[in-house]
Amino acid sequence: MSYQPRIIGFLCNWCSYAGADMAGTSRMSYPPNIRIIRVPCTGRLDPLFVAKAFQEGADGVLVAGCHPGDCHYAEGNYHARRRYALLHLLLEFLGIEPERIRLEWVSASEGKRFTQLVTDFTEQVARLGPCQAVGGQS
Amino acid sequence: MARIGVFICHCGSNIAGTVDIPRVVAEAQKLPMVVHAEDNEYTCSEVGQRSLREAIQEHRLNRVVIGACSPRMHENTFRNTVASAGLNPYLLEMANLREHASWVHGDQREAATVKAIDLIRAAVAKVARAQPLFARQIGVTKRALVIGGGIAGIQCALDIANAGFEVVLVERTPSIGGRMAQLDKTFPTLDCSACILTPKMVEVGQHPRIRLLTYAEVKEVRGFVGNFEADILQKARHVDHDKCLGCGICWQKCPARAPSEFDMGVGQRTAIYIPFAQAVPGKPVIDREHCRYQQYLEWQRAGAEGKKPPECRICEKLCPVGAIDWEQRDEMITEEFGAIVVATGYKTFDHSVYGEYGGGRYPDVITSLQLERLMSASGPTLGEVTRPSDGQPPKTVVFISCVGSRDDSVGRPYCSKVCCMYLAKQSIMLKEHDPEVQSYIFYIDIRAGGKNYEEFVRRAQEEAGTVYIRGRVSKTYPEKGKLIVWGEDSLMGRPVQIAADLVVLATGIEPSEGAIELAQTLHISYDVHSFLVEAHPKLRPVETMTDGVFLAGTAMGPMDIPDSVAQGSAAAAKVCGLLSKDTLALEPMVANVNAVKCVGCLLCQQVCPFKAIDTETLRDGRIVVRINEGLCKGCGLCVSACRPGAMNLRGFSNEQLLAQVKALTR
Amino acid sequence: MDLSQAIRDKARELLETGAVKCVIGYETGTDGINARPAFIYEAAEVDRLIFDETCGHNLATYLLHHRAENIAVVVKPCDSRAINLLHGEHQIERDKVYIIGVVCPGVVGRQWGVKGRQLLPACQACTDRNPVVYDYLVGEPVAEGAPAPAPPLPEVEDLERMPPEERCQFWRREFERCIRCYACRQACPGCQCTECFVERLEPEWVGIRIDAPQNWMWHTIRAFHLAGRCIECQACRRACPVDIRLDLLNHKLAWEVAQLFNFRPGMTAEALFPLATFVRDEKLGVGEWASS
Ligand SMILES: Cc1cc2nc3c(=O)[nH]c(=O)nc-3n(C[C@H](O)[C@H](O)[C@H](O)COP(=O)(O)OP(=O)(O)OC[C@H]3O[C@@H](n4cnc5c(N)ncnc54)[C@H](O)[C@@H]3O)c2cc1C
Ligand code: SF4
Ligand code: SF4
Ligand code: SF4
Ligand code: FES
Repeated sequence: MSYQPRIIGFLCNWCSYAGADMAGTSRMSYPPNIRIIRVPCTGRLDPLFVAKAFQEGADGVLVAGCHPGDCHYAEGNYHARRRYALLHLLLEFLGIEPERIRLEWVSASEGKRFTQLVTDFTEQVARLGPCQAVGGQS
Repeated sequence: MARIGVFICHCGSNIAGTVDIPRVVAEAQKLPMVVHAEDNEYTCSEVGQRSLREAIQEHRLNRVVIGACSPRMHENTFRNTVASAGLNPYLLEMANLREHASWVHGDQREAATVKAIDLIRAAVAKVARAQPLFARQIGVTKRALVIGGGIAGIQCALDIANAGFEVVLVERTPSIGGRMAQLDKTFPTLDCSACILTPKMVEVGQHPRIRLLTYAEVKEVRGFVGNFEADILQKARHVDHDKCLGCGICWQKCPARAPSEFDMGVGQRTAIYIPFAQAVPGKPVIDREHCRYQQYLEWQRAGAEGKKPPECRICEKLCPVGAIDWEQRDEMITEEFGAIVVATGYKTFDHSVYGEYGGGRYPDVITSLQLERLMSASGPTLGEVTRPSDGQPPKTVVFISCVGSRDDSVGRPYCSKVCCMYLAKQSIMLKEHDPEVQSYIFYIDIRAGGKNYEEFVRRAQEEAGTVYIRGRVSKTYPEKGKLIVWGEDSLMGRPVQIAADLVVLATGIEPSEGAIELAQTLHISYDVHSFLVEAHPKLRPVETMTDGVFLAGTAMGPMDIPDSVAQGSAAAAKVCGLLSKDTLALEPMVANVNAVKCVGCLLCQQVCPFKAIDTETLRDGRIVVRINEGLCKGCGLCVSACRPGAMNLRGFSNEQLLAQVKALTR
Repeated sequence: MDLSQAIRDKARELLETGAVKCVIGYETGTDGINARPAFIYEAAEVDRLIFDETCGHNLATYLLHHRAENIAVVVKPCDSRAINLLHGEHQIERDKVYIIGVVCPGVVGRQWGVKGRQLLPACQACTDRNPVVYDYLVGEPVAEGAPAPAPPLPEVEDLERMPPEERCQFWRREFERCIRCYACRQACPGCQCTECFVERLEPEWVGIRIDAPQNWMWHTIRAFHLAGRCIECQACRRACPVDIRLDLLNHKLAWEVAQLFNFRPGMTAEALFPLATFVRDEKLGVGEWASS
């Protein structure tokens, strides 16, 4: 695989970041493209950070948080779910393939699932190639 | 100007075995504002921490990045280290080179190294925009509020008070005791409920550190952990309890009658009353609705038309100490508390939706709580179990289990947990009262998980001869003075028909009236059935998501007395842990508002799950928001809702996240 | 009665009784196609006021600049929704605003590539003829069913059908022209921030450079900030000196919000903004990845 997509992962501190740690402690392995940013909760993450990541040159963005009902702050991911639905539709309408964006729920114990997810997503984004939607680099 | 130091940990070979450490250090050195970079064998070791402290001093570092393991592992360790070197602990950022790079890309040295460099770059970009944060210290009001005086609340209040703290126990009805006071005997030991409960009630009533407010309700709660303020409504009793001796002459002579709530309607009480003989406090209240004098006053207020009711006032005339006080009004008491326990208990399911059981239509179909009252020696029938219709002792009794439990069609999919056991208990007790009684129990499953519980059910079957029939009842109707119960024996696969004298419905358990309103003022969550929700079902069973608010007993779900007592004690332990502190450190990573940018749209207030956002009016008349730092948990929902960018989150600011995004997409 | 005359009479009464300090309405423009906003402070001036199909501006926007005093404002149905929006977002005090609602026949406007006066396409598709909130109604209310969202514009559907590359080409051509004058923002009643993100240096959401990526970011954030809030009055499109199709972007999101949350902004002041709330078990069918 010569083309290496650039992927940003925003993971909530309480579940998904811990899930990613779990993948590490269990010595699982996934493609190295993803760069993880820790956020307190998916509800903290203004969806526009995702748009910003694309504008800055990301080829794919993963947002992961606690499963519905499990948010450390009880409601963060429910709000995130609505906000990301709209962001998804907006970015798709602007010409960014919806496959480049993922909102996922990964618990602290789902190291295996996280590994699988990142592997699939990286391949999926790689197949799409570099994201061209935003236009030339500034 | 930021002076950033970067420390890369080998973690033995855990990181160094995969990541090219010298290259990462060299790249780190080139980053803007980085004035020092070094690597350590184990940064978290004594040696590593010393090196970190020395470097901070030597290079006058004011920001630190540590490339090592997950911040979930050692962030606190390193915060303490940098703090001991005189740096604000929040001017530290960790890059997760182990869990997120070396361990997951073990076979890809180049890729893992590049990733490590990126992660360091992002951490440097983030820490450059970090602000020193200070954990604010707040005082703790060393007094607890316990809401609900059932066995859970009683146990909790006693434990807290015996540990040396003041407690205010608020009970809605005129006496503490709750449901347990209504029970006759208790499974599986068959001790008399009142015998084990009343000593505790008396202890509460006499405890120097417990202030008991009965006939009272919590209306509103403000504030946050350590610093709550509650408005408690003391309903007018029209009896001055300071004067009252509890002699009882008034309730013996009161001519007005009302169905007794305590006896579940199978008995009566007077208008001035104590709910039961061992009530605590043993002093009466006047129920305005049924009091004749109050009815008379009402008639006067309404224009004195129609027949004049009697003016009565017998209690007033008989009271030896003049305790009757018609002028008494409802009164709002406002008190401060450091912690709150909610132990509001349960009520039973309204069985009228099950028309086929005949409850409400036929007098001899009663609920299990009514049967408890009929069996109780201090009950309306003095322990003689008789049929409500004709006062005859029943010989054939049919019990129907799961009335409002495990039934999706009535919105009660859950198991009420105690019914299987109390049905066994009641059938045993009936046999003891009268050896001629034959009990039949229609059941779905028998749930007898618990110490000596299975044995207890066996005892009902073997010693009391109770017949268990697995299946549902399809109809009940009266015929020649009996109740004909049609059901199905699903194990035998055949219909059964029993001519019963008495039918007892095991109505399920649901939260007390008013649980939702209380939950809302306390900002705690409740589930679809209105049971209160614990912070974690396994690890934090008596805490809530609101710091300083705890739960105990059946308010959070069906449970029996031993579990309710255990929870009362558990909540008390949590409360004592909290109240034993003189100050609490508030989490500094919370939201903050820039009032200049805030346009007062209040979207943040709508999304905040912890009701941590208040409004304030500025001198120029603009309305803006303010964070209540005692309530804010730092989730950041408000920050991402705020379009004008007025709201920000300390430690995860917009500036910091944006810098990370830019550093990682470069 | 003539609409203009009815507005004048009401304006005179409001000013003479001192009920309001100013009446914001329309007066004849200089180009013959666009009426311009008029701020009438004196009863003697009310005869300047007009209402006809050239009255395109959304005057509700000006309420943001006149928060302190009692004001009357002339609004069309879409503008009246802006008033509810502003009210619901606590930007105006309802009792300080006197709303003169006008039953709207649709407006014309300067249109690129269109000669003469023709109803705006949005007005041709629009089904809301009566203001949703007013203190005084001018014109005969039109009998209509329950107000419904306009069906997706054909151009939006065309765009949706394109492959992603073509769609992003389309937007690149649009955004390329943007000179970042922010006239669209100034015209929009939903843009209320004291300091717009686009002009902020820290955090720097949008770089100061005017180029494809920065313009893309500006337009993405603008659209998202108005998602579920845009009342589609077309003020931004009308304001844009280079005719960027902001209306398509806005319409797409408005349509999706109506589909997902059964919500149209500004229909009442009390309705809860869909991004301010949630339903626990909802399945939106988009956003959340349905892989596992
Ligand atoms: C028929 C029957 C038989 C049972 N038999 C047994 C048995 O043999 N053994 C056993 O272990 N368990 C038995 N149980 C279960 C037992 O009753 C409960 O486990 C126990 O009573 C729960 O205690 P609690 O303190 O949680 O709630 P409760 O006893 O319900 O007490 C709650 C108290 O809070 C008060 N309150 C409610 N709302 C408010 C408010 N807003 N403000 C102030 N006060 C409020 C109520 O008035 C009440 O006094 C039986 C249950 C039933 C229905
Ligand atoms: S969301 Fe932002 S602008 Fe609106 S009230 Fe909250 S802090 Fe102020
Ligand atoms: S950070 Fe979360 S808890 Fe704090 S005020 Fe904002 S929404 Fe409420
Ligand atoms: S009005 Fe047009 S040119 Fe000006 S900022 Fe808006 S879209 Fe760009
Ligand atoms: S804390 Fe994980 S999604 Fe809210």
